Amino acid sequence: MNAPDRFELFVLPDGVKKLTITPDTKIPNAATFKVEKEDHTLANMLRMQLLEDPKVLFAGYKMPHPLDHYFILKVQTTPDTTPAHVLGNAVTELIQNVGSMKNKFEMDLIRARSDNAKADIGEGEDMSSHQVDMDF
Amino acid sequence: MDIYNSGGPEVSIRSLKKDSMKFVLSNTDLSVANALRRIMIAEVPTMAIDMVEIEINSTVLTDEFIAHRLGMIPLTSFDVDRIQYTRDCTCTLYCPNCSVELMLHVKVNVNFEEMNDPTIDKTRQVTSLDLMSSDDSVKPVSDDKAHPILIVKMRPGQELKLKCVAKKGVAKEHAKWSPVYGVAFEYDPYNKLRHSHYWVEQDEKEEWGVSANAAEETPVDPNEPFDYNAKPERFYVELETSGCMKPEEVALRAMTIMQDKLGGLQIKLDEEVREDNQRWGY
Repeated sequence: MNAPDRFELFVLPDGVKKLTITPDTKIPNAATFKVEKEDHTLANMLRMQLLEDPKVLFAGYKMPHPLDHYFILKVQTTPDTTPAHVLGNAVTELIQNVGSMKNKFEMDLIRARSDNAKADIGEGEDMSSHQVDMDF
Repeated sequence: MDIYNSGGPEVSIRSLKKDSMKFVLSNTDLSVANALRRIMIAEVPTMAIDMVEIEINSTVLTDEFIAHRLGMIPLTSFDVDRIQYTRDCTCTLYCPNCSVELMLHVKVNVNFEEMNDPTIDKTRQVTSLDLMSSDDSVKPVSDDKAHPILIVKMRPGQELKLKCVAKKGVAKEHAKWSPVYGVAFEYDPYNKLRHSHYWVEQDEKEEWGVSANAAEETPVDPNEPFDYNAKPERFYVELETSGCMKPEEVALRAMTIMQDKLGGLQIKLDEEVREDNQRWGY
């Protein structure tokens, strides 16, 4: 009846900003990032990456309410940098990490496929020497 | 700022089959591995029946019952990139750019000679094989013609005629769009990090044992002090697809989605910082 539409989880409505930065009024070098239509998938990844940075004094996230599809990320840094800058670094680092993960996956996929092909040819000659684990 | 002081994450594929695969992800953070798992489950787009127009239904199942069953049928989705999301499409309801039509028409005629012979099974099984797709790349998953997916059973005199509209979607909206039936995710099989707390009667080792993935790690030494700085490093992932696409494709698409998510955020962050700088006149 009054159930919210499921697509509200991932469709950014018109006029809503994906990211807003609010500087903290009381803590120096601190800011709150609000990211719309994202969840723990992205938030936890960012938080963990931020915590690896020695210039980050604090990084934490929360999803304030299960019916609101955004998260807030609070970051405090040392005075020689800014929260937006360290977040930028964290995102860059993560993109590189995922990129290299994808490359490694593709590389190993070629190996796995050729192994499977070899096993398939082998099966015709000698059934006993190969695992039936491969069905390519 | 390479925190892992090496060439980034490592991937090692342990088994690759038609609709399942196992791989080990190492040298990365738990949060990244978990993000990959979450995206594979809920954010990789596939095709699924989303609208059903029923013309004739004289079967024992109600219209909505049949519509629900049709939605659950996995459709081959390797060509899903070609199809748009309906909400992004310019059409009013649906069109060939954002949907695929599947027709079903089954009528069981009454055979008067056999009608009163109880030895003959007159039940007609309507299955996914009866769905006629308008697009060859999007059709019910059926490698095994002997075991198609049952939709409804019919008796002589009954008829079912309907049109299904399959659309592109993600499992965040409805689980029917999930490309995977399951993703097994394990790290630290010996529980060295003590992230798991086992409920035991008498003896933990005897009651719980270790998983098959433990063969890849060194057994825990009971005299070894607890390393409270240790972090999970090796992640054992096993995924099984619905058959809508190859398992390696699911993993690769998930990684691409992860990159897009991060890339999108980076662009927005740059925009915001630039706007801020202009506002404050730095």
